[in-house]
Amino acid sequence: MSHGHSNPLQHPEVQMASRSSYLAGFVIASLLMLAATILVSGQVLPPFALLLTIMGCAGLAAIAQIYFLLHIDISEHNIWNTVALVMFIPLFVITIGLTWWMFSQLYLRTMPMIPGMPGMH
Amino acid sequence: MSSAHEKPVDPDQVVLWSDDYEGHDVISTRTFGFWMYILSDGMLFATLFAAYGVLSYSHSYYTGPTPAQFVAPWYTFIQTMALFLSVLAYGFSMAAMKTGSKAGVINGIVASMVLGAVFIGLDIHDVLRMISMGVTPEVSGGLSAFYALTQVHAAHIFVGLIWMLVMLYQILKKGFTEDVVGRLISLRMFWQFQAVMWVFIYVFVYLWGYMS
Repeated sequence: MSHGHSNPLQHPEVQMASRSSYLAGFVIASLLMLAATILVSGQVLPPFALLLTIMGCAGLAAIAQIYFLLHIDISEHNIWNTVALVMFIPLFVITIGLTWWMFSQLYLRTMPMIPGMPGMH
Repeated sequence: MSSAHEKPVDPDQVVLWSDDYEGHDVISTRTFGFWMYILSDGMLFATLFAAYGVLSYSHSYYTGPTPAQFVAPWYTFIQTMALFLSVLAYGFSMAAMKTGSKAGVINGIVASMVLGAVFIGLDIHDVLRMISMGVTPEVSGGLSAFYALTQVHAAHIFVGLIWMLVMLYQILKKGFTEDVVGRLISLRMFWQFQAVMWVFIYVFVYLWGYMS
């Protein structure tokens, strides 16, 4: 890696910045969040389909931001950032998923209905 | 080998490595290190998402208000746009840095700060509105988890704004040195990552809470 050592502005981390790529990330994420907001406030879909749709919007918006803004790709300069993120995603999902699973099973077996509460969903 | 014996090495004078080694890439090293920090920050959010996930059942709110009663999706959508635009402005600032344009970088960061401050202002206004409705963290476990997650994110934005202020001073004072450029890139990743986390908070806490 022969980066311009003398001038930090010639460093690939600086030179990889791109207006069009940042704009693409912004537009895609904004449109997906707009779509999710319209769907939720309009309540046009049945609840489960609505949940799946907004989950899809969140996933695509996050991928767009990670790719277009954070430069996570397989280029030589960024590959280790990508590897670290790929290792991170299972930790993130397992932390949330297993915690949620354990407590949902616990609630199923232990939680009595209390008068005056809204129903379990 | 024999010459080394002729002249004894003085431990106070010897230079073991060059501090200007050509292959030592300061910006890349620091950027990767900061990316590690960002991912561990992501694990902090994972624990808060997990806490919110297990405390967002209807019994978690006991008989108190649920997000369906106090979340205003369009209000929070405006907050979302303020944050996304702030991240875009910071990105444009970094694009201006490619050509060494100090004015372009400073304008971008100032725009990013203003939009970030709009996000914080809307958040504070929203919290005050909820408090006036009696929606406070101590009402139920569900509300504690809601406030913890959303306000930890707001605290990140606040720290980012302070950091931007510091960077504006350093750009004016020191110019684009290796240190300053490296910090600007770390701040770029930090700021963009807050937008990624906000996508999950907005969809899974605000929107999902509103529809439940």
